[in-house]
Amino acid sequence: MAAPLWRRGLTAAPWTRGSFSWLLSCSRAIQTTAVCHKNRAARVRVGKGDKPVTYEQAHPPHYIAHRKGWLSLHTSNLDGEGGAAERTVEDVFIRKFIYGTFHGCLANEIVLKRRANVLVVCAVFLQRLPPYKFYFLVGYTETLLSFLYKCPVRLEVQTVPEKVIYKYL
Amino acid sequence: MAAASGCLFCARPMLPRLCAGLAAGPRSLLRVSAYSTALVVGSAGPSPGQVAASRRSRTSQIARNRRLPGAPRTEKMAVDQYWGNVYPTAAAFNPSSVPLPIRMGYPVKRGVPPPKEGNLELIKIPNFLHLTPPAIKKHCTALKDFCTEWPTVLDSDEKCEQHFPIEIETVDYVSAGPSVRNPKARVVTLRVKLSKLNLDDHAKKKLIKLVGERYCKDTDILTITTDRCPLRRQNYDYGVYLLTVLYHESWKTEMWENEKTEADMEEYIWDNSPSQKNALDTLVRIRAAEKTTEVTKEELLASEIVENYKTTVVALKNEGETENNILQYKESVTKLLNLQALQ
Repeated sequence: MAAPLWRRGLTAAPWTRGSFSWLLSCSRAIQTTAVCHKNRAARVRVGKGDKPVTYEQAHPPHYIAHRKGWLSLHTSNLDGEGGAAERTVEDVFIRKFIYGTFHGCLANEIVLKRRANVLVVCAVFLQRLPPYKFYFLVGYTETLLSFLYKCPVRLEVQTVPEKVIYKYL
Repeated sequence: MAAASGCLFCARPMLPRLCAGLAAGPRSLLRVSAYSTALVVGSAGPSPGQVAASRRSRTSQIARNRRLPGAPRTEKMAVDQYWGNVYPTAAAFNPSSVPLPIRMGYPVKRGVPPPKEGNLELIKIPNFLHLTPPAIKKHCTALKDFCTEWPTVLDSDEKCEQHFPIEIETVDYVSAGPSVRNPKARVVTLRVKLSKLNLDDHAKKKLIKLVGERYCKDTDILTITTDRCPLRRQNYDYGVYLLTVLYHESWKTEMWENEKTEADMEEYIWDNSPSQKNALDTLVRIRAAEKTTEVTKEELLASEIVENYKTTVVALKNEGETENNILQYKESVTKLLNLQALQ
């Protein structure tokens, strides 16, 4: 869309197209109105059709509650309830923690569910580690997070052979 | 990466097994065998060709040792299994445990919704697979042992009110988070009908004046809400204490209560009111003017016409102006003043 610009100096007209006139026609432009960039939040830009994308990545945030659910379920965002900030900070930490503990094995985002006192972490992993390693890491995560947050933490794990592709962008 | 000829911390040459363990890092000791054949003690280090060979053999060994995923549980389920064993408690959706061909999600163009394997949307939503009717029946039979029968005497609301006139209301709050406490849980509400309390006319009026807003005239219910104490038990005790104090205080008559003026009265009383004086004066004067029998005020008061007039005036003042009230007032006035001619 054409933004208003101020042009200083000679504008390049067809008859001034000679080597000398190009030196003179230094046209610089200054943007004078507010800049309105396109929204880039949580959106995977369309490419050549070779970018595999999961269901979660393919849908931008305005599809939440229409085609997507919520990744974190707790009561703090209801009217009159408190603790929303604490739950959010816990969520962020747990996501980073699990991303690092099961490095390279996460097939999709983690779903966090809070049921009264219990924190249920639902994760979908790729079958990149042998099962005994998975069991050890699951026990390690559960114990460590239980001690960190002083509440029972349960990890409910599913494995898939490879990432579930929704479409190619 | 540590060279095979010596360890990082001291200059001692190391055994190939230990070397391989260090070089392999946190990987399993099973891989040591792949390394130990390639490394030689005292040599300058594994040559690139040997390293490549060891890596290829390692990946093939990983491929060989890799356990293939077993068949999902859905294929081993009997048709008449007890579903409560699959989902005994609330759990996330597991596609290999639920033998249903469920699809969820927005379909791709000219496609179908994504299948259940690895479907995050199915995991996100809360499911009730653990609450099938047979499972609920099982819960109820287990809980029945801890329940007592409802008393058969209390089979209607009136009987409940008669035996338990005071109603206590408390609210418990449940939320998701590590803390059980909620400050709103300390509020206690006490409700009682004043007709159930043993109050005479003066006590009832005094009680209503004392509580003010907390009394509802239409339902005759006194509501006391307490939340000034930090604990629910304390608020309950305080509420009961308030009720006791109100009851006892309303029965007492203080010295200053005889200074009650007409503005303090709750309802209109005809005796000793200007209306009574005016009516009696008027009637006495009418009798005097007509020079009929002399009637005393007491006889007038006792007569039916004046009684009628009294009831209509009281009704008008207490209940407000309704069509019925005004008609009856009109009739009583016509009778009082002997104005039958005016219809």
